[in-house]
Amino acid sequence: MRQCLDEGMLQSYFDGELSSSLMESATSHLASCATCSAAARELEEENALLSEAFALELSEPVPTDRLRRRIDAAVSGIQVVRPVAQQPTSISGFFSSLSSLFTLAPQRTLGYAALMMLLVFGVIFGLVKLRGNAPAPETAEVTQPAKPVNQEVASVQPKAIETPVPVGTVVRTVKPQRRPVVTTPVANNSAAAAAAPVKLLPGERAYLQTIAKLDTTIQEGKKDMRPALQVEYERNLAVVDRAIAATRNAAKKNPGDPDAADFMFAAYQSKVDLLNTIADARVYNRSH
Amino acid sequence: MKFSLVPAVFAIIISLAGSNKAINLHDESDAKSGEKIERSTPVTSQPSITLCVMSGQLTVHGWDKNEVRVRSTDAAQIEFRRVDKSKDPSTPPARVDVMVFDKMRSKGDCQALADVEMEVPLGATVQVQTRDGDIYIMGVAGAYAGSQNGDIVIERAGKFVEAGSVGGSISLKDSTGRVNLSSAGGGVEVFNVQPLGADDTFEVGTVSGDIQLDRVTNTKVIAKTVNGNVTMSGALSRSGYYGFTTMGGDVVLVMPHDVSFTLNARVSDKSDIISDFALKYMPEPPATPTPKTPMEVPRTPSPKTPQPPKTGPIIAPMVVIKPVIVNPFRRFTATYGSGDATISLSSFGGTLRLKKI
Repeated sequence: MRQCLDEGMLQSYFDGELSSSLMESATSHLASCATCSAAARELEEENALLSEAFALELSEPVPTDRLRRRIDAAVSGIQVVRPVAQQPTSISGFFSSLSSLFTLAPQRTLGYAALMMLLVFGVIFGLVKLRGNAPAPETAEVTQPAKPVNQEVASVQPKAIETPVPVGTVVRTVKPQRRPVVTTPVANNSAAAAAAPVKLLPGERAYLQTIAKLDTTIQEGKKDMRPALQVEYERNLAVVDRAIAATRNAAKKNPGDPDAADFMFAAYQSKVDLLNTIADARVYNRSH
Repeated sequence: MKFSLVPAVFAIIISLAGSNKAINLHDESDAKSGEKIERSTPVTSQPSITLCVMSGQLTVHGWDKNEVRVRSTDAAQIEFRRVDKSKDPSTPPARVDVMVFDKMRSKGDCQALADVEMEVPLGATVQVQTRDGDIYIMGVAGAYAGSQNGDIVIERAGKFVEAGSVGGSISLKDSTGRVNLSSAGGGVEVFNVQPLGADDTFEVGTVSGDIQLDRVTNTKVIAKTVNGNVTMSGALSRSGYYGFTTMGGDVVLVMPHDVSFTLNARVSDKSDIISDFALKYMPEPPATPTPKTPMEVPRTPSPKTPQPPKTGPIIAPMVVIKPVIVNPFRRFTATYGSGDATISLSSFGGTLRLKKI
């Protein structure tokens, strides 16, 4: 990763929402960029501060006790009605249950309207498919995904009601709660792991400091850099960064192997050499 | 009828006169742009000459005269600035800066946009720099050449060559002495380079560009690349040191059948070694860790003292050497012949191919 991480990316990094490849490149970048690692530290402190500030609110269960009682009451009411509807004892009971279907309560009206719309859409879709000589199994395939969606909804709702502490999926939908969530151990184990400081390998720090210094020098005059030079710089920087990431992974996996460390240092040295070259070229651009 | 003809005739005359003037102006501007400026100055037999422009092709030729001659078709003015310490105007200067001013009247300090040709004494050392342009240097003693995006071609340099480019390629031919070439993205091609003295090293480095060396006989040859491929062909110097470091590129060495070398390899399990030579192979004991500190200048690896094992299993030619892997990295030493030259290879992910000519 060549460019600095923006705040959104950093937040996703801490939240553990990045893909494994992005996570790896972000980690590599944080290891080599002083600016971003400083920003990451700030964000981490900010997260800690926010979580402390919202600790009282976060400790309260969501939904609140009052709301939960109301939901529980509603659920228990449904459970009382269902056995009667599901087990008709006589024909009259069956007809009465049918007639109750046609009583237009506001909720049912909405339900019927939605059902009608679904039917209309289904008919239109079927007609279009028939005109296009589509094979029959395709329509079956279309209807298949609907089941899991319904199942998911059905399965998520009881969980949200049963558990006093919301699961991660519920929290993610509410953006302002995202940052405090970092501190909750249940929702973001990976984020907690990512928030831990990046462990440097022995001897790596000196290279990172040199690279950060050179990088700062280059960034300061980046606006003076010719586009052709910038393109070449970034292309080659990506090559070197990939080499660093690969050798660093190898060095981490083989901590006792000096050759693995040597390859990593050689990759770092290549980056130092490249940055020196670009810094010289940048000075040449500016001074002349 | 007469009255109607008179204005028409006048109009035709005026329009013809106007068009004639336009053609004349056009011709005049063409003549100006094609005009060649030429300046010359006497210098010592081994002067140091610098030339720097913002953009343009720079061509330098050595000639058998103690004189510097500079020509340009795009420059408005060319000046020589004497920068040596000699105050005696009767003696020719030993150090001269060539100042080129273009038609925009820019400063002569590397701001000009102009193609420049220059003749210098055969013993001259030239320092030539352009940001966007190619550089050609032929027949000088020493050459420093730098271009950000242009290609650099150097031929028949007598004592040393240092050239660097960020995006352009570098080509060096028929030269002697110390050589240091670096390019980030461009390739490097070298043909027929010999040392003048035993200390004349040959170093080349790229990030992603390929390196091709043909008939390089310096006693110490070092090639480093991150992702480029390295190809070297030709005989090895007896007791020469050849160091190759690559992260992902392949290294191909094409050598005559009567070559004699010791191969010290440090490779990962991703690397293969394919040899046409029957190598005597012996694994080395694991090395002790050595913490390193970064340097802001390219460092030269210290050649390891070769430990040529004279005994060991003989590996048949054209065999891919894949010893039993205890850990992902392995070192080994192998010899061919009496093991005179030393080939040191560090490869993280590339393949080493030893080929017979």
